[in-house]
Amino acid sequence: MQLKPKVSPGQPTSTRRRLMAASCALLSAGAARSQESSAARAHSGLLEDWSVDSALAYYHEDGRVQAIEPVVDVSKVFADGESLNFNATFDALSGASPNGALPSRSPQTFAGPSGKAAHAYTIAPGQLPADPHYHDTRVAAGGNWTLPLTRVDNLSVGGKFSAEDDFISATVNAAIAHDFNDKNTTLSFGIFNEFDSLHPIGNTPVPGGDITSLVRTSGKTKDGVGALLGITQVITRNWLTEFNLSVDRFTGYLNDPYKFTSIIDSGGNTTGYEYESRPDQRTRKSAYWENRVAWTAQLSTALSLRYMSDDWSVRSDTAQLHLRWSWSNRERYIEPTFRWYRQTAADFYTPFIIDTAKQSTGFESADSRLGAFRALTYGVKYAQKLPGLGSRAESEFSVRAEYYQQTFNEQVSVPASLQGLDLYPGLKAILVQIGYRF
Amino acid sequence: MKLGRSGLLCLMAGTLLVSGCSSLGVKPWQRDVLAREEMRLDANPLDAAIDDHLYFSKEASSGGRSFAGGGCGCN
Repeated sequence: MQLKPKVSPGQPTSTRRRLMAASCALLSAGAARSQESSAARAHSGLLEDWSVDSALAYYHEDGRVQAIEPVVDVSKVFADGESLNFNATFDALSGASPNGALPSRSPQTFAGPSGKAAHAYTIAPGQLPADPHYHDTRVAAGGNWTLPLTRVDNLSVGGKFSAEDDFISATVNAAIAHDFNDKNTTLSFGIFNEFDSLHPIGNTPVPGGDITSLVRTSGKTKDGVGALLGITQVITRNWLTEFNLSVDRFTGYLNDPYKFTSIIDSGGNTTGYEYESRPDQRTRKSAYWENRVAWTAQLSTALSLRYMSDDWSVRSDTAQLHLRWSWSNRERYIEPTFRWYRQTAADFYTPFIIDTAKQSTGFESADSRLGAFRALTYGVKYAQKLPGLGSRAESEFSVRAEYYQQTFNEQVSVPASLQGLDLYPGLKAILVQIGYRF
Repeated sequence: MKLGRSGLLCLMAGTLLVSGCSSLGVKPWQRDVLAREEMRLDANPLDAAIDDHLYFSKEASSGGRSFAGGGCGCN
């Protein structure tokens, strides 16, 4: 359950999202079936009548974690509009995962979470402390069932289960969608409930406890519940828009049990470490707006904007643009992508603690994911239609690559002895993915 | 039944939204462009899911486009 580059579709496109897509697919079914049908809508041959979408992703962080992940998603749309979807994911991760401690002018030695001598590690002066023995595997499977209730109403239910070496999660969700205005407008409402069970390696540390303490507790749980209200609107013949409002609340053990915070004296010398201590509940709210526009027969764009806030004082803004250029009678396309993101820090985020002084809230975390930073993603995808497998009309091969970079804001002044150290190293990562669907 | 100020605002917003939407849209025979794959809201579901999980594990935000949450221990 450590810092994990979650390049996993274990977070499947939600029931509500699928429902919305199903509605849009239905309302445009006539023309779609005549000439624009997707490669993923083959109707015979292998896995007869099932669409298969698969991908193999490789993720690599500069000097840290790497992951490889195969994913497969199969779906079938029945003649009456009913649809089924199943997906499976496998993650294998390894590398060095930052433990939250601050770089130091002196070597730092840490025991691994297991406490085994072989897992102890020493960090050289000036280097970001990271556990070099990190590894984890994860398997996940999920499914969704969408059922037309009337000509204009759809119900969808789904579930997902995932298991890691130290973490188990189960989620159920349900959504309902209603079309009106000649099926130009779709209103939808969905809910989910997530149940997580944590069993950290070496048992669960006490939040805020000294990392040398042997006091541990058994497994912990956290639960989440959320709702999403959305509207999709056809604006014109070539413009589709979607607007969502969502809220979710998680309660329970919300700490990362492998993260801790450096305690330093006024001279900047590290005197100890303590486990992070986050609040045991968190409520997030977000607004999301997406516009898809076909500018010409070849060029289309998808622009999305998101604002999120939570009761940990994190505020974030996200803008993402996909631009697709098709040619060769739409048998090939290239899709550049750009994403811009920024967030403010959680009110209990601190890169270090001076002596034993706690934050005013009594909570603290040096987890950089709760700090203030900006992130940019540049990506490009190329896809090409291929002859179909068996009796299928066609298939599609794709390859894409992304470069992701985080840049942190310097948030607090540091003792003179720490100046010059890279306390906010940020993150650089690449993602390469090949895909095939038929 | 007494409507509070927020309830009244929601009712007005809902009425405006629905009446506004009713003047938008296309006829069934004008859906050729909307039927293209790239105009689907889930045009590339695996790409989106992989990206979402990457961002979920590296940032403090998730969800919006679909449900938040993670189903993993990475955050």
